[in-house]
Amino acid sequence: MNRKEIIGLRRQPQLLAAGVYVLLLICWLLPFVSVEGTTMNGFALAKSLAEGGSLLGGLYPLGAGLAVLLAVCGAFLAARPSVKGVRVWTVIGAVEFAALVIVMFATKGVLDQSGLLPQAFLVKNFSVGYWLALVVALVGLYCAMEATKVSAGYIVLSVMSVIWLFPILWILLTSLRGEGGYYVGYFIPKTFTLDNYFKLFQEGSAIPFGKWWLNTFLVASVSCVLNTLIVLMTSYVLSRHRFSGRTLLMKAMMVIGMFPGFMSMIAVYNILKGMGIGQSLGALVLVNVASSAMGYYICKGFMDTVPRALDEAALLDGATHFKIFYQIMIPMAKPIIIYQLMSAFLGPWGDYIFPSLLLGDKQSSYTVALGLKWLTDTQRIETYYTQFAAGAVMVSIPIVVLFCILQRYYVEGMSGAVKG
Amino acid sequence: MKLRLRIRRTPLTIFKEGDVFTKLSFLVWGLSNMVRGQIAKGAIYLAMEVAFVYYMITSGLTNLVNLTTLGTHEQGMVFNETLGIYEVQQGDNSMLMLLYGVVAIVVVAMAIVVWMTSVYSGEDARQRKISGRKVYGITDDITSLFDTHIVRLFLCLPLIGILVFTVTPLIYMILMAFTNYDANHQPPGHLFTWVGLENFRAIMDASGQLGATFLPILAWTLIWAVCACFSCYFGGMFLAILINSKRIKLKKVWRTVFVLAMAIPSFISLLVINTMLGNNGIINVLLQNWGFTTEPLPFLTNATWARCTVIVVNLWIGIPATMLMTSGILMNIPAEQYESAAIDGANPFQQFVKITFPYMLQVTTPYLITNFIGNINNFGVIYFLTGGGPNTLEYYKGAGKTDLLVTWLYKLTNDSNDYNLAATIGILIFIISAVFSMITYARAGISKNEEALQ
Repeated sequence: MNRKEIIGLRRQPQLLAAGVYVLLLICWLLPFVSVEGTTMNGFALAKSLAEGGSLLGGLYPLGAGLAVLLAVCGAFLAARPSVKGVRVWTVIGAVEFAALVIVMFATKGVLDQSGLLPQAFLVKNFSVGYWLALVVALVGLYCAMEATKVSAGYIVLSVMSVIWLFPILWILLTSLRGEGGYYVGYFIPKTFTLDNYFKLFQEGSAIPFGKWWLNTFLVASVSCVLNTLIVLMTSYVLSRHRFSGRTLLMKAMMVIGMFPGFMSMIAVYNILKGMGIGQSLGALVLVNVASSAMGYYICKGFMDTVPRALDEAALLDGATHFKIFYQIMIPMAKPIIIYQLMSAFLGPWGDYIFPSLLLGDKQSSYTVALGLKWLTDTQRIETYYTQFAAGAVMVSIPIVVLFCILQRYYVEGMSGAVKG
Repeated sequence: MKLRLRIRRTPLTIFKEGDVFTKLSFLVWGLSNMVRGQIAKGAIYLAMEVAFVYYMITSGLTNLVNLTTLGTHEQGMVFNETLGIYEVQQGDNSMLMLLYGVVAIVVVAMAIVVWMTSVYSGEDARQRKISGRKVYGITDDITSLFDTHIVRLFLCLPLIGILVFTVTPLIYMILMAFTNYDANHQPPGHLFTWVGLENFRAIMDASGQLGATFLPILAWTLIWAVCACFSCYFGGMFLAILINSKRIKLKKVWRTVFVLAMAIPSFISLLVINTMLGNNGIINVLLQNWGFTTEPLPFLTNATWARCTVIVVNLWIGIPATMLMTSGILMNIPAEQYESAAIDGANPFQQFVKITFPYMLQVTTPYLITNFIGNINNFGVIYFLTGGGPNTLEYYKGAGKTDLLVTWLYKLTNDSNDYNLAATIGILIFIISAVFSMITYARAGISKNEEALQ
């Protein structure tokens, strides 16, 4: 055996991987599928399915071929190691593993069509050979990756990404689906269309989504500006001025904040009705803004870290406190202002409880949260599911864009909240 | 700076030391100000007094009296002798009486504050006059709002907002917990009245149906909060460590994938996932097509399944959020610590247990506990995903197996109109949150010096 050291290559895991891939080859010879006495090993399956010619059926021949290739390459590389060779080998290993994973989902479709089995196939009909092959392929891939010092974290991240992207992809595809309906037996639509989006914004359609969207946007933007102003004023005063009752005020706000927020919504609703502005968007803004001072905490924490020397210098120069506020504090607090604007916008954008209570059945004032929830009602979901999906995408896009641009500030604000 | 000896003033000392105008100004607000030349200011105080007295005479006093009875005349048919027929007599509306009563209490409290302010302000003007300093006019007062008295200017609006839309409703709801304002006592048709601690007793009584609902829901709420909090915390931390590890390339791409999931408003993702998990939803359809199962799985319809589902789905939302938050903190851990640990032969797991985790735990304890309380009150995940279901007959009216205390509270107010029970539960949630917060602050040391951050 060649014992020469090669930079960037670890021999031990490499040899281990080569051994594991030989095992994988053996796994393919073990029974893969067994249904009622009919047992087939991997190669037999691959041979029968190779003639079918379907795309997913081709996974078996591909997997079998790659298994052979992996074992041969493993032996070859063990004798003549090279970084490039091992890299290619690793990629083949990754493809093999992916093929084996997809096989788990695709086998039923392929086998039921091929008529190789006496009855419908279920995942529990996979035999020891398949499960072993799956595990062995994973171990082999891990060892091969270790050999070239590629982090095995990529495997975990890939799997997690698939899980996290699945619902997002599903809703995107549904929103583009030409054929309507909630119950469909497939993931990728048969026909693609943008109609669902057009229908949402059509004049006189059954669901006034355009109006809902606009309502939400108005409420969220007005609330976010006013909310930020109030929070800034409150936190400036609490951070910079020492007045009697200050700590009492802060403690009181903390205690009040511990009551579940919507416990008092019935009373708020009655008060608003008494003011004559029940069931209106203005009332929604008022409710969103009225208690915003309670969220002073993060902003004040940030302002506490702005050096006091700045204020003192300005005071000596004869500036008023008001001037200090808008000429020193506001510019200094820019990151936290952006955070505050953002979270104050996101809150009303996705709020459900208050609007649902306040607006009741007045559909023309609905916000998107109310409207979309209404669309998923059991009576409507069958008719409107694709439009619901389009609506969900329309609601998410502005937020996702906003979030991606301002992510830095959001993280800063959040970690500010952690440090308190 | 001139050293001035300040004697602590109280309304009592002011009354004793002041001249006759000061004494009279306890009765006629702002009189003392007017006498010392602050005409406008004094007039404002006086106007406030007139408004207050007018309010009290016209409605305030009645409202306060009504608060004790919550109405005596029930709506019903009364014989009208002049017309010779029965007609509907408008009864008292207990709900409005309670609300107006609370408003009256708040108005009285505010009036006392204004009254005391006027007294202090008058005394201040008198002192200034005696010692020969300038007595401020109304324009001076207004300009001072932008400078020395900026606290008043800036806190005025926020405090009014909190008073009207948070404190008043809160008092109203707290009082409601001591009434019998349930589905059978709905104004205006029926009256409700004070019942003392009856609601608390009913909810705590394990033998009654209410108690048989409350205690399991409380237990599930706590289990949920613990599971949701810690699973997201460790999951997010694991993900952050993974993405931040040196050997992972394209960090930004990976992070974006998860941030995408977080950026989507949570009600959207929850509604979408809810539709995906239904009996005819895509997940069940695919699982059957792929041969994993022959029957649709009861993700949201079986109590145990549904409970596991909400915890797992919560991971989908919670892990990216924790990942984003912990990423920043992870970078603050000095790299030398890891280097020396690696030299000493510590493997990644040991490094996590000995370096990363203790540091993270120390920094994020407050976050963890706020997160825990947030999960006790996590309305969205439950409401949009399961709606509290599957419902069960063992529970009181419409409460389901995955209902948390908050979603039950919502159902009690919105669906069954048992406001008294909702208010009682609200108070109990407050007590639970307060206990946990107190533990946090005791541990994290809230009394930390604010100036120390400079």
